[in-house]
Amino acid sequence: MTDKTLNFLQFLKSGEYKKMRKHAESFGECPLTAEKHLESFKTALELCRPVLFAEYDDFGFNRDSDLTMMWGSGNVTPNYLRILNTGFDGVKEQIKQSISNTHNIGRKKYGRMMLSCIDLCLDYSDRFRDEIKDKNDRLYKALLKVPHGPAESFYEACVFIKLCIFFLRLIYTDHIGLGRFDQYMYGFFLADKRRGVSCEELFETLENFFISLNFDTDLYWGMQQGDNGQSMVLGGFDVDGNYLYNELSEMCMKASLELCIIDPKINLRVGKNTPEEVFESATLLTKQGLGFPQYCNDDVVIPGLIKLGYDKHDAYDYVVAACWEFIVPNCGADTPNYHLLDFPLVIGNMIKNELCESKSFDELMEKARLAVANECERLLELGKIVVRVENPLLSVFMDGCIESLLDTWSGGTKYRNLGSHGVGISSAADALAAIKKNVFDEKTISAQQLTDALEMNFEGCEEIRNLLLDSPKMGNNDAYVDSIASELMASFSKHFNNKPNIFGGIWRAGTGSAQNYVYASKTCPATADGRRSGQPYPSSFSPSLETKSAGLLSVIQSFTKYDLSDIINGGPLTIEIHDSVLRNDIGIKKTAQLVKKYIEFGGHQLQLNSVNREKLIDAQKHPENHKNLIVRVWGWSGYFNELDVEFQDHIIKRCEYII
Amino acid sequence: MVKGCIFSIEEFSVYDGPGIRSTVFLKGCPLSCEWCHNPEGQDAGIQIVKSPNGCVGCGACFENAVQENGKTVFMERSIKKCPMKLLRYCGKMTESTELCSKLLANREFLSDGGVTFSGGEPFFQSGFLFECLEQLKGKMHTAIQTSGFCESAVFARATELADHFLFDLKLFDEAQHIKYTGVSNRLILENFRFLAKSGKDLTVRIPLIPGVTDTYENIDGLCRLMSESGIYYAELMPYNKMAGGKYKLLGKTYSPSFDETLTPDIRADIFEKYCIKILVL
Repeated sequence: MTDKTLNFLQFLKSGEYKKMRKHAESFGECPLTAEKHLESFKTALELCRPVLFAEYDDFGFNRDSDLTMMWGSGNVTPNYLRILNTGFDGVKEQIKQSISNTHNIGRKKYGRMMLSCIDLCLDYSDRFRDEIKDKNDRLYKALLKVPHGPAESFYEACVFIKLCIFFLRLIYTDHIGLGRFDQYMYGFFLADKRRGVSCEELFETLENFFISLNFDTDLYWGMQQGDNGQSMVLGGFDVDGNYLYNELSEMCMKASLELCIIDPKINLRVGKNTPEEVFESATLLTKQGLGFPQYCNDDVVIPGLIKLGYDKHDAYDYVVAACWEFIVPNCGADTPNYHLLDFPLVIGNMIKNELCESKSFDELMEKARLAVANECERLLELGKIVVRVENPLLSVFMDGCIESLLDTWSGGTKYRNLGSHGVGISSAADALAAIKKNVFDEKTISAQQLTDALEMNFEGCEEIRNLLLDSPKMGNNDAYVDSIASELMASFSKHFNNKPNIFGGIWRAGTGSAQNYVYASKTCPATADGRRSGQPYPSSFSPSLETKSAGLLSVIQSFTKYDLSDIINGGPLTIEIHDSVLRNDIGIKKTAQLVKKYIEFGGHQLQLNSVNREKLIDAQKHPENHKNLIVRVWGWSGYFNELDVEFQDHIIKRCEYII
Repeated sequence: MVKGCIFSIEEFSVYDGPGIRSTVFLKGCPLSCEWCHNPEGQDAGIQIVKSPNGCVGCGACFENAVQENGKTVFMERSIKKCPMKLLRYCGKMTESTELCSKLLANREFLSDGGVTFSGGEPFFQSGFLFECLEQLKGKMHTAIQTSGFCESAVFARATELADHFLFDLKLFDEAQHIKYTGVSNRLILENFRFLAKSGKDLTVRIPLIPGVTDTYENIDGLCRLMSESGIYYAELMPYNKMAGGKYKLLGKTYSPSFDETLTPDIRADIFEKYCIKILVL
């Protein structure tokens, strides 16, 4: 790390810049129409102008006020490369061409709003350029070229991206990822090298770019601090089976390792043919305790996306949108977080109504499948009431919108699919397994006793609850319960995947939970796996919090039994290992081997966290001593101190069984 | 067939031999090392333990316990009645066939590694241990993590069955050994020399206990022993202040006579003198 980088990093960590912001009233709910978007964009830019915080900041485009705005549109990956190669002036010409090509008044109008958005961006960046003329020559010179014209160097491209993010975030765009940065930026990187720019200089630029991505993030909309969607995807296989992990990919990993900051969040695309060294350098990053990289398995995700109707070359280009949603960049306006199938609740209601009437477990299981199918139908019906948001600036970045002059979600893009979480799959499977064992196989609890105990939230029924807790649980490589989970997932994907949605796309079933492992679980009554009313579900696709599993090998086998390409909306298996495992090269190497095994077994997505429970407990008691403690939450990393206590507790609970 | 008593199987144990391994912990140990961090491995029988964290103080466990020699002994009903599920059995009787089929189920994961038998002292249940080793022979790499305290004939049989030994060397001086572990090291040293001579894969492990095993005299003695036996690699395990963490679980108190707060001395210079490579775990 150079002195310049170190200074910039220290400046970020000092938090001083937060004091430099003036106050601005926060914006409320996102407007729906393109006109209103444009209007609010103008106001936002007046209240929140781009600013350079420090002389060693080569990127600028930070907010000069603490303006925040609520959720709008996002969870997509814009086509940065097309904009970088065209420049805003060129893009304007393309839009003008499209306007003159159409007679449709609505489209012409939409095109003009796209132009107005770009003009605002150009106007503000020109003014910003002139303001910093004497403060940062490097940035000034870059801004003489971009955003008007195309970027030519790696640095100019980084500046352009930072600028795009700045403007997009001020027009109600949230959770926009950086996509396959190591692929689309590689051309600029190589061109610089050919011009004689040294690797050290390129690395310094990259590190400073990473640092600059961390400045406004506390103002971005998210469910919790840190949930801002700035994901970056590295690696991945091409159609011919080549693994695309280049010098720049390696540099990104190295920068992330050295800087130890939460943005960008690294996602690594791997497969069974990924070289072991890549897993090893990724494990070094895990050791930092940032909760990334998150691994995505090309061998499972790509076939899964193809089954959902994505074109082969698009499927091979997939990215993680913000947390763990598998989407296609540039031309995909998918909404993978549309709603959720709350498995413990759906199965719980079925048990309440049907258990006493069921003669056998097979009969009950049939009803469970039916309950999932019915819930799918309800969700599909619910999905017909969709609020359309029109975001003319975002559409500039999405392929197809300039040609058609249609909004991202109104037909401009190629893919407009919707997805649903599958929350608490393991809890629901555990509940059914506990009933199978105790009510039907061993008859230790009668159906009525169990229904009553659930009704009572286990008050005075400790023996029954303990029998339920001692039943087979997902995470122990036990077919008794794993097969039930597979059936639930099969029912979900069968009745949900590829059903048409009102955007002209389809629906996708997934294994994620997002914040719902805490929020949805609050209103769910006691469940037959022994979970009390209101207790949290496991995060995404993971063993129940009450389970002491047989160990990591068993967890991995339990959670890879089902063909996960069938349920590929996204949602990782989350496992914690104690940070002492990674204390030396032996531990690093073996952990890397374990990850590779997970991939070989057909896991779709893995979030591996290095944790120390004692440290977390201490941080809860003495936050002042742990200001830089970073933890993985549900698909993103955040500072432990900035999380609500219930999320802190969940993370501590997750670590309980780690030695 | 004899039944064995195990208290844990740890999957993905990283520091118990080559590759990714599962470690089986057998109950019962003839030693009583002051710094033992697995006190539940000392007693040979099944125990009921209670986690000290999260107790709501309802008293259900005590209502179902009995008094023996002035001590509270929890019974099965104590486990069943606890609303927080804080009590559990520590130790489980298992047949070697059952255990081995469980271990072999993970064979695909353990192809570069294998299984390690630890404890307690695995030789404390040598009959059961040998049954397991016989069943796994040729199917999976096996290792034994041992204090080396067992009859020579038993030890010799083990060298025929297991692939790798993780051998603890604690104290060179016999009197000191008796003082801190409760037994003489005569058999241990004899078995060590035998093992080194046999040419079996062997990893020496030295716990570094401040003021006890990390003294100049002791490390020098152990190095001399290793060097005479032709062993030039050792893994050092510096004392971990978490060692006392599990005593409360058993209703015991942890009160070592040495000063826990001191940082153990690695004594790298002595190892270097004897050309012994070290790895600090």
